[in-house]
Amino acid sequence: MPAQRTFGMDHPHHEWSPLISRPALRWPNGAAVALCVVIPLEHMEWQAPEGSFQVARLAGGSAPRDFPDYARLSHREYGHRVGIFRLLDVLEKHGVRATIAMDAMTAEHYPYLVRHCLDRGCEIIAHGISVTRMITSNMSEAEEREYIQASLDAFRSATGTQPRGWFGPEYGESDRTPQLLAEAGLTYVCDWANDEQPYPMTTGESPFFALPLMYELDDVVSISHKLMPVFEYEKMLGESFDVMREDGAATGRLMAINWHPWLVGQPFRIGSVDRALSHMMSQGGVWSATGSEIIDWYQQQST
Amino acid sequence: MALPPDRIDYLPITDRPVIKWPNDARVALWISPNVEHYEYHPVNEGVRNPWPRTPYPDVQQFSYRDYGNRIGFWRMLEPLDKHGIRCCISLNLAVLEHFPEIAEAMMERDYDYMSHGIYNTRFLYTYSEDEEREFYRDCIETLKRHTGKPLKGMLGPAISGTVSTPDLMAEAGLIYHTDWFHDDQPTPIKVNAGKLISVPYSIELNDSSVVRDNHYSAAYFADICKAQFDQLYEEGAESGRVMCIALHPFIIGQPHRVKYLDDILSYIMSHDGVWQTTADEIADYYIENYYDEAMAHAQRLAEASGR
Repeated sequence: MPAQRTFGMDHPHHEWSPLISRPALRWPNGAAVALCVVIPLEHMEWQAPEGSFQVARLAGGSAPRDFPDYARLSHREYGHRVGIFRLLDVLEKHGVRATIAMDAMTAEHYPYLVRHCLDRGCEIIAHGISVTRMITSNMSEAEEREYIQASLDAFRSATGTQPRGWFGPEYGESDRTPQLLAEAGLTYVCDWANDEQPYPMTTGESPFFALPLMYELDDVVSISHKLMPVFEYEKMLGESFDVMREDGAATGRLMAINWHPWLVGQPFRIGSVDRALSHMMSQGGVWSATGSEIIDWYQQQST
Repeated sequence: MALPPDRIDYLPITDRPVIKWPNDARVALWISPNVEHYEYHPVNEGVRNPWPRTPYPDVQQFSYRDYGNRIGFWRMLEPLDKHGIRCCISLNLAVLEHFPEIAEAMMERDYDYMSHGIYNTRFLYTYSEDEEREFYRDCIETLKRHTGKPLKGMLGPAISGTVSTPDLMAEAGLIYHTDWFHDDQPTPIKVNAGKLISVPYSIELNDSSVVRDNHYSAAYFADICKAQFDQLYEEGAESGRVMCIALHPFIIGQPHRVKYLDDILSYIMSHDGVWQTTADEIADYYIENYYDEAMAHAQRLAEASGR
């Protein structure tokens, strides 16, 4: 629906709320920045089913290639076999527990990874079915409900728990998605990249929140799409953090970063992650937390 | 993963047999120049257009690559020779027939070769199984006739393949396929009959992806090669890793760029514990010492997960 020229947002999912109109947000122990590392563990399918939607520039592999694209499929698989462990080791070294966004195909076919992430104290959130099946408005409402249920069913059967968070593959949503996620019993969603604080979404269901990711800090966006040299990416992470830490003295900031294990988990990139985290975690004033911990704190502060 | 194409069993790097390279090396380093010929007037098979910029010929793009054979290859040899590197050439086999001086230079240095197809403008996508069988026969025969060496592996021409490629490679007696980027170690690839493995080649440390496709500087290419080495060298103390640097003479052999190859090799080769080798040798060694163990271990992991 094209926008009507009236006050506020041109969609019903959240209110217009510029930072200056909000009460100050305080993080635990007076931290200026809440750091949340989101790690997608997503499966790239050999052949996605007919009618499924992929973004035109789905990252991975070398230049776009025709089927069968062994290069892209296996480049993505690197994350599941090698990159995730390297990335989790670096996070652990800095005392950071990850929020793992795990799709249904990974949950179902990689029980080792499910167990490993749980053993390491990560929070696992739902991440759709596969990276080659996005939610979009091409889906009917019934199809979208079915998709969300299939993802949650696989999640529950693999982990024995109900996820609290959701991150759509490639940030994919229809114009119904927040509502359907809330109805499915979820508490927060990571698809919206429009803030530096969590915020409530208006779904009419029990409280439901956005946990916004920093779009430009997403490694696929900056490294894979914009081709930023990894050392520049490292510098950007540090500079971004410095400003958020300063700004966070007045009202707390959320720095939520999306890191793909097949990308920053490569041997030559991992050192940049390590150094960026050293920079952040050595300064004090940082609260490293999982998505649920951040949303719980936020909810408690705002009621 | 048991998911399609079900070629590679899941083996997390944290839970698999420990690899010990010869002389307790930490990193098996192989350097793979792509020695190629792109046809002046290729046939467009309808899947991938070899020269999409213009109707054929595309003299600009043709000659940019041919520069690699006339000039770049010879310049690239200087740093390679200086550091005593024995390459594993990713070879368009027709080069042996078109350009004998290149064949001779490679043979003088006792390089190894994996097939990179016949020409880099002929892709496997449209091949029937029988055409693909004939293709392997041709590659094996051509390499043998010119170099006396048996063909052991392949990087698909322009990294192309078919769903049957691993089966047909194994059937033809090849032992390794380098179109897979899922690991820092060799891994078995499941095939109908015989044994085939993946030896990690690189689309990340590759002058074509880094410099040509993605427009990074050669200085950056050198920096990431060193960073890759540092990380793998550290991890290789526990279990051996593979590092491949993929080159293209028309790219790395440019006058303004060649010094960065010297820089990379000077850095890496100054370390102890580097097994400078070829994909042929890595494949032989892995199959001899670790293939069966890796297959059995993957089976145990799958059973422990109840599948």
